[in-house]
Amino acid sequence: MTALATPPESRSVAADLVADQVTLTVIDNYLATTCREMGIAMMRTAYSPMFNESLDFSCVLFDAKGRLSAQAEFCPSQIGTIKFTVEWMLDELGPDIYRPGDVIIMNDPYRGSGHIPEHTLLKAVFHGDEIVGFVANCAHLAEPGAKAPGGLAGDATDIFQEGLRIPPLWLEREGVPQEDVWKIIFANHRTPKVTYGDLMAMVGSLNVAERRLTSLIDTYGYDTVTTATEDLIGIAERRMSEEIRRIPDGEYRFSDIIEDDGVAEGSYVIDCTVVVDGGNVACDFTGSDGEAAGPMNATYAVTASAVYNAFMHITDPTIPRNEGCYRPINIIAPPGTIVNCEFPAPLVGGNTEVSPRITDIIFGALADPLPERIPASLGGTSCCFLFGGRHPDSGDLYSHFHFEGIGWGGRPAADGNSQIIVINGNCRNTPVEVFESRYPLRVDSYRLLEDSGGPGLNRGGLGIERILTMVADEVTVSAIFNRMRVDPFGIGGGKPGANSGIYVRLAGEEAWSTFSEKFGTMSPSKFSNIRLRRGDQVMIVAPGGGGWGDPLERSSERVVADVAEGFVTPEAAQREYGLVVQRRNGTWDAAPTAARADTGPAS
Amino acid sequence: MTSVRIGIDTGGTFTDLIAFDATDGTVTSLKVASTPTAPLRAFLGAIEASGVAPDDIAFLVHGTTVATNTMIQRAGARVGFICTAGHEDIPYIQRVNRQFLYDLTWNKPRPLLVSRRDCFGVAERIGADGEILTPLSAEAIDDLCDRLAANGELEALAVCLLFSYLRTDHEQALAEALRERFPELPLSVSHEVAPIWREYERSSTVIADAYVKPLMQTYVASLAGGLADADIDVNWAMMKSNGGLMNATAAADHPIHLAMSGPAGGAVAGRHVAGLLDLENVVTIDVGGTSADVALILGGEVGYTTSYEVEWGIPAAIPLMDIHTVGAGGGSIAWVNAGGFLQVGPQSAGADPGPICYGAGGQQVTLTDANLVLGHLDPDYFCGGTMRLDEGLAHRGAAEMAAGLDMSPQELAHAIVEIADENMANAIRMVSIDRGHDPRHFALLAFGGAGPLHGAAVARKLHIPTLVVPPFPGSFSALGLLLGDLRVDKLWTQSFRSDRVGPAEVAERFATIARAATEELRAQGFEGECELRYAINMRYLGQNYETEVEVPPIDALDTSGAAEQLERAYQAFGDRHRAMYEYVIADAVIEMISFRVSAIGAIPHPHLARVQPTAGHLETSRQVHFGAGGLVDCRVLHRRAMPIDEVLEGPLIISEEGSTTLLEPGMRVRRSAEDVLIVEVGA
Repeated sequence: MTALATPPESRSVAADLVADQVTLTVIDNYLATTCREMGIAMMRTAYSPMFNESLDFSCVLFDAKGRLSAQAEFCPSQIGTIKFTVEWMLDELGPDIYRPGDVIIMNDPYRGSGHIPEHTLLKAVFHGDEIVGFVANCAHLAEPGAKAPGGLAGDATDIFQEGLRIPPLWLEREGVPQEDVWKIIFANHRTPKVTYGDLMAMVGSLNVAERRLTSLIDTYGYDTVTTATEDLIGIAERRMSEEIRRIPDGEYRFSDIIEDDGVAEGSYVIDCTVVVDGGNVACDFTGSDGEAAGPMNATYAVTASAVYNAFMHITDPTIPRNEGCYRPINIIAPPGTIVNCEFPAPLVGGNTEVSPRITDIIFGALADPLPERIPASLGGTSCCFLFGGRHPDSGDLYSHFHFEGIGWGGRPAADGNSQIIVINGNCRNTPVEVFESRYPLRVDSYRLLEDSGGPGLNRGGLGIERILTMVADEVTVSAIFNRMRVDPFGIGGGKPGANSGIYVRLAGEEAWSTFSEKFGTMSPSKFSNIRLRRGDQVMIVAPGGGGWGDPLERSSERVVADVAEGFVTPEAAQREYGLVVQRRNGTWDAAPTAARADTGPAS
Repeated sequence: MTSVRIGIDTGGTFTDLIAFDATDGTVTSLKVASTPTAPLRAFLGAIEASGVAPDDIAFLVHGTTVATNTMIQRAGARVGFICTAGHEDIPYIQRVNRQFLYDLTWNKPRPLLVSRRDCFGVAERIGADGEILTPLSAEAIDDLCDRLAANGELEALAVCLLFSYLRTDHEQALAEALRERFPELPLSVSHEVAPIWREYERSSTVIADAYVKPLMQTYVASLAGGLADADIDVNWAMMKSNGGLMNATAAADHPIHLAMSGPAGGAVAGRHVAGLLDLENVVTIDVGGTSADVALILGGEVGYTTSYEVEWGIPAAIPLMDIHTVGAGGGSIAWVNAGGFLQVGPQSAGADPGPICYGAGGQQVTLTDANLVLGHLDPDYFCGGTMRLDEGLAHRGAAEMAAGLDMSPQELAHAIVEIADENMANAIRMVSIDRGHDPRHFALLAFGGAGPLHGAAVARKLHIPTLVVPPFPGSFSALGLLLGDLRVDKLWTQSFRSDRVGPAEVAERFATIARAATEELRAQGFEGECELRYAINMRYLGQNYETEVEVPPIDALDTSGAAEQLERAYQAFGDRHRAMYEYVIADAVIEMISFRVSAIGAIPHPHLARVQPTAGHLETSRQVHFGAGGLVDCRVLHRRAMPIDEVLEGPLIISEEGSTTLLEPGMRVRRSAEDVLIVEVGA
């Protein structure tokens, strides 16, 4: 970290604050720390690897007025949607209904949730008789009771196939578990024990937050905390506005494609015009295609969350992350389109696949006015691979949502990172040793894919290939992938990253096939409930990121380093970078080909 | 007459020595400048400066940051990483999450490897139940060795095979073959270094061990040679990250255990002083030049963890004392972020150029400068007067920065101190409140050069009623080196379910581990009585993270007694779970994941002698700023001149060679006969 100079215009921001600077810094850090602590509690106590290894959850705080006041390093898509989820819950339930010890659950995407697997728990925090804030967490349950184990049915045709929809209900009243609600949930999930362990971990995490928030108010008093929160929201809004003001005014347009929806033929265009006007921005999706027949739809909350995510990434990362920083950002998404679907359209893939695509589209639109900030396309898919069945050892049903990291796009000042989770999440992979201890699948290999990063002056990050073997008599699998047909795009002369893929090889077979070829699925990348047998194998390919800038301008030293490390093959170095790279007498050297010579001397 | 025990703590800036003479109980301390390029020089220089004759030295313990710095500065060996074929990219793939959200400039950390080509797969496979799926063949080993030989640039080897924590024979066979074929290459094997599940964390740990091993072997050999040349013929040990001592040769074999060697000394000394004062619950804070290390003592014991990271995302999962570090020290730099917020640290001016007031070219206002501007520090008595601070420079620096913020230099200095205090308090909150411990039930033990300066304010912020400043606060970590015991920790990972395991199996498992631990302790030359401690890592069946619960020894021969002890262990797990997360899952099956036995060989410790005040009051006074209290004429007293067991009132500054204790108006202090300062904060 380096000391930053204070820009003159932001100095004045501090001038009209009510709370003093020290108190503000302390309270801002305290609130974010509280969110992190909630996450640690959840990780340490949850049952499913989705929670405890992958960390597919988010913990946030709201003030007494229901405004998001703090967040931490969780999944951006969840942080963006939970704002809508909690606003909806508070609005639907109304005021004066909460008692100390109440815990409310909700997962309905048509009430602001991201998709059915993501369950939100909410608790009002009391100080004396007064509500002083709300604590909430949102987590992806590995088993939501959908038509396919793991919930993400790639060929769902309506919301009812995507799992048990829960409106705002009391999970606990004044600390007492509400048996009837629990029973309905247990009866509808394939793995009720895991659901119980995970939901209890969420409850425990709310307890931790409640304790922390109460203690903050004990120390500073409610008025100081409220004033500070008020100030922090104001600061966030003004700083976000200032950041947007630095983008030249204008209209910037970009579009990309969702390649298919798992149900019908054909692809869908998402089109966005970004209108920057002073300190405000509007992202207008008018012109995007209508609703998908399959689950590749985004609700308004998902679309808004993806737009927020894009702007958070290209503005000052030190802006306090609360309600205020969302205010200058407006989203126009016509109802009945792929970016604002209507009940009862299927939508479970919107949150995993459409969300990163929208973020990329905003980046694409702003590449012209902000050339120094915008990266090339990231791999842009969560590589959702779902499976379930009856475990041969325990005899219990199991169900899992598996995903992969991807290559990120080359950046103006650096290569893209290899193998990082998609931009709408911040999850971890599941270790092989945990994965195999829980599920009857074996990981035969898990490796980086050479040449999968899009060639560029700054190369895209690498994808991976993972090969899995079924070691139970029957495993039911489903998938939602993207970028299998449409490349992760490059920027400024950069080349696309490698595509994603999911392939199958039945026991005894030599060659890999797509699921369409082998099982007749409409889409090779989106399907559900395919039954595999012992010894059958699945190959998952995670895509690379797009390249940034002309690969022929990449310095020969950097190309040689890539070949030496095994990120780029000598063949690709010659083809894409115009360099013949060889190892001679223990050292690597490079000679330019005609293609590179044409662009001037190699640096 | 071999009666002197010596502790030497080598830090980045200073090398501290504590010498304890068992015959008369005298303790002496001294500081010499560290010599990072040739650490032996300061190490031997300190011994020489202590005036202790070589023949008088009975025992020597060393704490060092060499292993840590090697990793942080990426100055270790070129490691060849050997793993199950198909999984060679484990160190590069990592866990795929990001350290920061919304930061497109963030770069994923590189493993402690030079090249992806230094990762070698070997054909073999063990399954999740410990079964062999693919045997490790002689051909596979030969093939691996040929590839390693062809690389030709490797300086150390690290082995981590999948599921080796369950079944060690493949790693053992491989290790044997590699030692034979490459006797010159230091070798680290995952089931020996860290028998934990999660292949990335285990791989990263074993790579880190191999990474520092050649250098640590050279380092230990150089100190051993230096000691021999100085005619110091002594059995010497190093302090591990968990506060236990390890004979120096053993240390060089498992150097990753030295990652937190430095701060561990402070925590051990803290535990000792807590015991001396009969304090059950203590927070310790060690504030040095760049960082503040915080540890929690609960029921007289320091907590342990395994979550050390070389940097974010590069774990080294060794058992260590649970010490939380934040970037808040005397050298922490004050700066203003893009939003106009004043921040302090985590970047530090270090020792070179250091704070502005060092007059060595430092340009950025630091915490030390702020303390000087407020009168908290005596410019003529920094490090006992061996270093002069330039008040004028500090003042000018503060005035310049303050002008840009519409503040007076004193207001700025006060804000800097306040923010630094708050950062330190936050570090304490992370280990206390956040884990369900109310700091109001704790005492705060502050040491390190700057700890006693900030301790009272930090205690006040946290409503901690009592601040304790130990003797030798400036070289307290070196004192801790003499307060450790020899210790061998053995971990065995094998899961048992509470509904399927009997106490006899658990007892047998413990007995096997205890035997191995005891043997290893004996092998380090310990001849006294071994103390054995047992712990089980438990979780609810289905959870993925364990909680360590200490259990009494489980006696296989006493069946009903053992059953009762096991039942009590389950109960203890439930209690711990409730305390942390406010719920238990009734009737759930509990899974025991791993078993730990610590064999402890007690060695004689120094006693802190009863002291007498020095006659003749070394007393002055100066103008000091106390926040809201404004400018106050403050009494300054040398620690040696303080009367014993007499209560003095703040405002008061207590000065001594290695540190300065600052009491705010209204606080009260007493100096105990053991030379401990006990401050009533009055919060």
